[in-house]
Amino acid sequence: MFRSQAMSKVELIVPEHDVVPVTEALAASRVFHLAANEHMGAESTSRQTSEWQERATTFADLERRILAVMEALGVDAGPPPPETPHLIWPAVAETDVEHLEQEAQAPVQELEEEQRRLAQLQREVSQLEPIVGLGIDLSILRGTHYTFVMLGTMPVTNIERLQSSLEHIPFVLITLRSAEHLATVVLFGMQRDADVLNRAARSAYLNPIKPPETYRGTPAEAVAALQAGIERTHRHIEERQATLERLRETRIRHLRHLLWRVRASRALVETIARYGRLRYMYLVAGWVPASQVPMLEQKVKHASAQVTIEVNSPRPMDGEPIPVALENPPFLRAFQGLVTNYGYPRYGELDPTPVLALTFPLVFGLMFGDVGHGLLLALAGLLIASRTVRALRGLASLGAVLVACGITSIFFGFLYGSIFGFEEVLKPLWIQPLKDIMAILLATVGIGVGLLSLGMVQNIVNAALERRWGHLLFDHNGLAGLMFYWSLVGLAARAFMSSLPVSPMLLVALAAVFGLVVAFAELLENLLQGHRPLIEGSLGTYLMQAFFELFETVIGLLSNTLSYVRMGAFAVAHGALSLVVFILAGIISPARGVGYWVVVALGNLFVIGFEGMIVGIQTLRLEYYEFFSKFFSGNGVRYRPLTLIQRGQE
Amino acid sequence: MSVRGVTAYSLVHATARALYSTMLTPETWNALIQAQDLDAVLNLLSKTVYGPYLQSERQALTPRRAVYQIRWHLAEVYQKLIRLTPEPGCQLLLQLWRLYEVDNLKATLRGIETGASWDQVRHLLSPMTRYITLTSANMERMVQTGDVTRAIERIRHTPYYDTLAHALERYQAEGNLFPLEIALDLDYRRGLWQSIHLLAGRDHEQALRTVGTVLDVDNLLWAIRFRVYHRLSEQEIINYTLPFGYQVHDEDIRAIARGADIAQVVARIYPDISGIRQFAEQPSTKLAALESALQRHIVEICRAAFMGYPFHIGIPVAYLQLNEYEIRDLTVLIEAKDSRLPTEAFAPMLEIQPLSGWTEQR
Repeated sequence: MFRSQAMSKVELIVPEHDVVPVTEALAASRVFHLAANEHMGAESTSRQTSEWQERATTFADLERRILAVMEALGVDAGPPPPETPHLIWPAVAETDVEHLEQEAQAPVQELEEEQRRLAQLQREVSQLEPIVGLGIDLSILRGTHYTFVMLGTMPVTNIERLQSSLEHIPFVLITLRSAEHLATVVLFGMQRDADVLNRAARSAYLNPIKPPETYRGTPAEAVAALQAGIERTHRHIEERQATLERLRETRIRHLRHLLWRVRASRALVETIARYGRLRYMYLVAGWVPASQVPMLEQKVKHASAQVTIEVNSPRPMDGEPIPVALENPPFLRAFQGLVTNYGYPRYGELDPTPVLALTFPLVFGLMFGDVGHGLLLALAGLLIASRTVRALRGLASLGAVLVACGITSIFFGFLYGSIFGFEEVLKPLWIQPLKDIMAILLATVGIGVGLLSLGMVQNIVNAALERRWGHLLFDHNGLAGLMFYWSLVGLAARAFMSSLPVSPMLLVALAAVFGLVVAFAELLENLLQGHRPLIEGSLGTYLMQAFFELFETVIGLLSNTLSYVRMGAFAVAHGALSLVVFILAGIISPARGVGYWVVVALGNLFVIGFEGMIVGIQTLRLEYYEFFSKFFSGNGVRYRPLTLIQRGQE
Repeated sequence: MSVRGVTAYSLVHATARALYSTMLTPETWNALIQAQDLDAVLNLLSKTVYGPYLQSERQALTPRRAVYQIRWHLAEVYQKLIRLTPEPGCQLLLQLWRLYEVDNLKATLRGIETGASWDQVRHLLSPMTRYITLTSANMERMVQTGDVTRAIERIRHTPYYDTLAHALERYQAEGNLFPLEIALDLDYRRGLWQSIHLLAGRDHEQALRTVGTVLDVDNLLWAIRFRVYHRLSEQEIINYTLPFGYQVHDEDIRAIARGADIAQVVARIYPDISGIRQFAEQPSTKLAALESALQRHIVEICRAAFMGYPFHIGIPVAYLQLNEYEIRDLTVLIEAKDSRLPTEAFAPMLEIQPLSGWTEQR
């Protein structure tokens, strides 16, 4: 639970003739994460590898062609098949696709041709319609000597800009018709300004309409002839569509089956193209959860008895990225979602999910301590988690977070003696934040110190797990940083509590020693690991850097710690908001009538919704910035098992 | 404190802040700039937030491929923040995300124009898998047509079709992609401006400050380039630019179009930015200095968005812009290290993280 699933590196040597069934078995196992191909001695660009790449290109082309046929026939891909289809060889698929294309080609091309003709005729009608009232012969518009005339279409959005660009030139722009995007306009000007007008019109995307010489007579006569042509074309289109519909009915299942088979085949050959290659063997490497290795071995051996399988434990020091499969019980999955929203841990690092599942509700409850509010929050969480409300199903994973936060709110509600804002009903088991402000603020600083220390301890554990000894010992979030932090905390505590049984001189000495270690961490790490040179650049620059490093560490620790004061501040605000609700209720109904209780109920709902939200944000903020930054890089690689068909799941 | 703002932006804000904290530190930048070669740069980057994207075989990571891999990070953060951001702020992020789709479309059209294959084009594109109208398969099909006109027909179902189909006539008459690209750019930015105006209150104010400044800089640089490099007429410059902006107004663009002193216009809008004097002396050769200064101004605006009241759309927008600038700088760095350029040749081009020694020279 604290670590991601243990992974094993599985390396397979696969005979050439069994590479397809073995790859299908690897995908069917749904546990094999294919690693980058970096095999000793593998011929990464061998002829055979190129052949698989060529097959992948062929399958991509076939997929495109099948989709084109499907698009033409109005067929969608449908859901993926329950069982992953086996490889279809490109030549077989090619024949099949060609046959389908030939079947669809003629009616589709005829339909497209008719549609193009229809569009052309409609375009010509729409160009002429704005001037259909002109009782003049079209030939008159074709030649003018002194007047510039441009009839055309342009984007509606450009009309104003065109007008304003011509402000220094005499012109008239008339919009004859305005559709959704395009307007038909006529631009008049003087022939002497033709050059300026032409450049302006062109830059405003005014496309001139030049009625073809074939148009005779008035615009109305030309439009009537075009309309007759449109009617004829509509009839032709309907005939072609009926032919295509018949074809669709007979081919829909076959097309979908072929599409998914080609897709799976493409994924398969692309996977094989990534394998390493010896003369007659393929070298396959990948990562598998250690617990799943026997199952994988069984499936692979079933596919080919001649496969050699080697299973090794991972060695993070090799630098090869090892995928991370987080393994948490169902009730922690919602918290896992909060972690992965930030990033994945590196392999070998501690999974922060369990700690987050503990600290997140704790921090939330501390800020939102109220038995009644916590109870409602927990009930809301249960309702969401139960998936009974359809509209809330998408948030189901958050239900567990709400339940946990509700429970801790109830717990702190008892500690604070608060139920639905009433502070007289329950006897506080600890303090009342509104009355003991300093106590709650100091307590939250103490909790902050504890949480930051926990973060640093996790960083130390991570460094130990990854055998980064220099980092463990000298880093500002390592052992030296932790000791330095505790020395400073001790000094601060000593200033408030003179009775603390620790000598201030000892604390100063510890702070000085560990502060120097943190400042010179890089030098000490290099020394420990035998890296040379010990420092980069000149000594003066290094000393300056070291000083600022220390300064930054101190400021960082201080601001991180003080950030946790907000927990106390929000606990106080929670009480204060409830108090405001009671004051308002008292104003509305001094005699504590119905109005009083309505205001109290609404006020409580407001506090739960509004403050609950803010407290949630602050909790997330404290976890992400203050806590995670101490130990969690979020640079891990997610475990993605090989699959030949994407089924739309994470 | 607005309740709506807090409820709407709680998770977005927390996530954007967390992402902001993963941006490369000045120490990492210094190490990257001082790195010996491309291999050293990739080694350093493998320890950063870009590490998981660079885990392909090292020999396969050409500079172009490395940049492509790095851009996956931006794609993932965009998708993450779009998913978390409520309406109508989400529309603004979607519109910002669409810029990469527009750029991909332009790159695809350029690829078709130059007769490039899909394999040559694909790694020039920004990786995009979600919240898109134009898939990689669409663009592959466009490239396979080998013809701009037929390629545009292939994207009839997308919002770009009407714009491109109308501009196509000019492409066919003039034989270059300029009219298609300008039409796409103008249409995209009009949409972006509308997305800003869908917002209200603090969201509107913040979006105007960050995205509005980005639009201003684009518009201003277009006007300057059209006049200085393309020598377009006053009417053409006006028609190829935007009539709106945050600090750059229509009268500024018109003044540039009419032939006013560009340096004076820019100084009036941005009195505090550097690079204007150099540009005023040699406008045709020092435009890059002005451009860098304006881009750095955007970076400052975006960084400033993280100060003060946090629950608004400005936080995710600013982070996404900053991440874009970080990746642009990494692109410059990777290309420079691959070409073994000396530090002084490329450091002035970095926009987000000036090397301390270079700050004064700017």
